[in-house]
Amino acid sequence: MPITLPSYREQAPEVKERFDRLKQRPVKMEVRGLYKVFGSTDGPVTALQGIDFTLHRREFLSVIGPSGCGKSTLIRILAGLEIPTSGEVSVDGQVVRGPGADCGMVFQSYTLFPWLTVKQNVMFGLKIAGNSSNKAEAEAREWVSLVGLERFENSYPNQLSGGMKQRAAIARALANRPKVLLMDEPFGALDAQTRANMQSYLLEIWRNVDVSIVFITHDLDEAIYLADRILVLKANPGEVEELIEVPVPRPRATSQFLEPPFLATRKRLEALIHPPEKSLKQRLKISRMTEVGDDVE
Amino acid sequence: MPKNKVPWFAVRQDLSGRRQSLLALLSFALPIGLWCLVSYVPSIWHPDVRLHISAEREGSSTVYTPGNHLGKDHFQRFVQTIREQNLEIQRYWRGEQEVTEPPRMVRRSNQRVLRQIGRFAVANGWLERDERQDDEKLFEIWRGLAEGELRGREQRLTEENLEILRANWAWLEEMETFSAAALPAIPLQQLLPQGRPANPVFLPNPHDVVLSWWDLFSEEPTGEGKTLRERLGYSLRIVFSGFLLSCLIGLPLGVLCGTYNLFSRLFEPFVDFFRYMPAPVFSTLLVAIFGAHDAPKIALIFVGTFFQMVLVIAKTTRLLDRSLLEAAQTLGAKNRHLVLKVIVPGVMPNVYNDLRILLGWAWTWLVIAELIGVKAGLTEFIETQGRWRNFDLVFPVIITIGLIGFATDQLLAFLRRFLFPWEPKGYRLSLNWLTEGHRKE
Ligand SMILES: Nc1ncnc2c1ncn2[C@@H]1O[C@H](COP(=O)(O)OP(=O)(O)OP(=O)(O)O)[C@@H](O)[C@H]1O
Ligand SMILES: [Mg+2]
Repeated sequence: MPITLPSYREQAPEVKERFDRLKQRPVKMEVRGLYKVFGSTDGPVTALQGIDFTLHRREFLSVIGPSGCGKSTLIRILAGLEIPTSGEVSVDGQVVRGPGADCGMVFQSYTLFPWLTVKQNVMFGLKIAGNSSNKAEAEAREWVSLVGLERFENSYPNQLSGGMKQRAAIARALANRPKVLLMDEPFGALDAQTRANMQSYLLEIWRNVDVSIVFITHDLDEAIYLADRILVLKANPGEVEELIEVPVPRPRATSQFLEPPFLATRKRLEALIHPPEKSLKQRLKISRMTEVGDDVE
Repeated sequence: MPKNKVPWFAVRQDLSGRRQSLLALLSFALPIGLWCLVSYVPSIWHPDVRLHISAEREGSSTVYTPGNHLGKDHFQRFVQTIREQNLEIQRYWRGEQEVTEPPRMVRRSNQRVLRQIGRFAVANGWLERDERQDDEKLFEIWRGLAEGELRGREQRLTEENLEILRANWAWLEEMETFSAAALPAIPLQQLLPQGRPANPVFLPNPHDVVLSWWDLFSEEPTGEGKTLRERLGYSLRIVFSGFLLSCLIGLPLGVLCGTYNLFSRLFEPFVDFFRYMPAPVFSTLLVAIFGAHDAPKIALIFVGTFFQMVLVIAKTTRLLDRSLLEAAQTLGAKNRHLVLKVIVPGVMPNVYNDLRILLGWAWTWLVIAELIGVKAGLTEFIETQGRWRNFDLVFPVIITIGLIGFATDQLLAFLRRFLFPWEPKGYRLSLNWLTEGHRKE
């Protein structure tokens, strides 16, 4: 029996109402006309072209796109780590001129300070902001337990697993009370199971914290599961393909993966991200390396 | 629990702790064993003869004294010469030839024959070192040897020499007690040169080295000349003063160069040029500037280590993972905080390793530093003793320098664990050879 999916644009009333409320909220981050051109040996490469979007307070925005489309470049510009060729990013109406505490960042590679324990890592930003050691420590403790690492607060990063490192990194970024939290494929290096746990963790944390999140991923399910809206980029040059409002109601649960709104969104994303299936003739020719008997097929 | 042992030859796998320690010990035991083998097995090598008893060759200006080394062939010829001289003397005894020399001269050379066994007697413990020329005691020892009462433990007379000695004694025993005037007026035969196979002087025996090491380092200050402990203290002071001075300026400068392009471009090109001029070429200049004593020595070590240090530390600093800096920036860290809270702690473990290597360089330059201006310290001792060919004194000092360097480095490697507890295991420049293997995760 063929299943007919609703359009991903169809929103249940409570979802629609939620988006209306979301758009009423103040704008946290505004991105206008972002261009980024890299000079390389074979001429300039346009990594980003005319990116515009707004991020509202407590919004969760996912960015997906094929590899090399400029996702990392985009988020680094948002963080102020990279200067755009033209266009600008503003946070709370203030133009971003360089990296700062307003935009916290969680990187794909592990960037905890190896010489500090988990707790000290979380205290890092707090102390730079001028908090006393006692206050910083007390707050750091709370954050460490929020991400479930109480038992490891005095461990050094190299004693932690990948998932624990990323949780600590999230705690470190959030402890600083950034206005926007930028995450560049933070769970990319994790195995499927840990990754699923981390996603639930992140949603749970985000529900309790007043922060807007920009979350880069190349995993479609991850993007739908987490985000309010999904910014789909296309490659060469990196341009906004579509900004999708995810019709899946909140609170999210993994059981929703099989429900029509989720599937509809997924189908749409697939269509955007993956080009139409190439015909058999065009498939890559792979020489047979082994004798595969017919019985195997 | 069944043990899965790593095979001895396993590519890039660690052997068990016990085996590692065993091998570490062996790496010292092998060369020492080889040294012992070469030194104590007379059939191996031993191209020289070390004299116990020497003799005088007529008409030769080269005089050998006990303790001297002679090549084996040369020694044989030496013995043959003396034998032939003795045959001449026997002709006087048989009356076939008249003694033409005045009796005074004959007696004097006979006295020298008597004294031939001086060192030999000392070695056997029959005489004190300063009694070598005490003729009365020597005379009694001759008596003892001739009558078979004394035999010698450390060194013994050969049968041939014993015969010569007895034949001489037949002339001497008439004296009852020694008196120079009563010495026979007829020439006595000389004892033949005697010795034991030995290696060349530049390879002293292990036990001689150990003994002289003990003697040298237990020496108490007497006021005249410096004891070795004082020299060692001096050398350590020079090395560490020079090195600390280097660190004091080189470390911050290196970190700044690695951090800020401004400093890198402003200092590194010149430093890079300067380091190609080897430190010793500045020695005379340094003496002219700083005088002849400690200052130019410290300055030479400074020149030798400083320029390398700036470059090495700058490079190490640049190797720090950029993303750590970016992470810190997104946490609000700016200039000062970035340097003090991220770069400095981040590069510390690697800088520590760099400094260990550079300290080794400082010791190298010390050897040259101590020879410029007024010579001083351990190197002066090595130089003087080496010139006198007292290699049994040179060796202990060389080995001591090695030991100090090795011990310092091992200590630093050991401390690393406590200084940088976050460093992953197995990320070390050089191991703490003797203890590392036993640590189990
Ligand atoms: N520093 C740079 N210099 C030159 N070109 C760059 C630089 N950084 C990125 N690029 C180019 O910009 C484009 C986008 O890179 P980016 O790393 O942002 O992609 P991405 O979407 O994050 O890819 P992925 O999903 O693989 O992480 C690529 O074509 C890359 O070659
Ligand atoms: Mg990327």
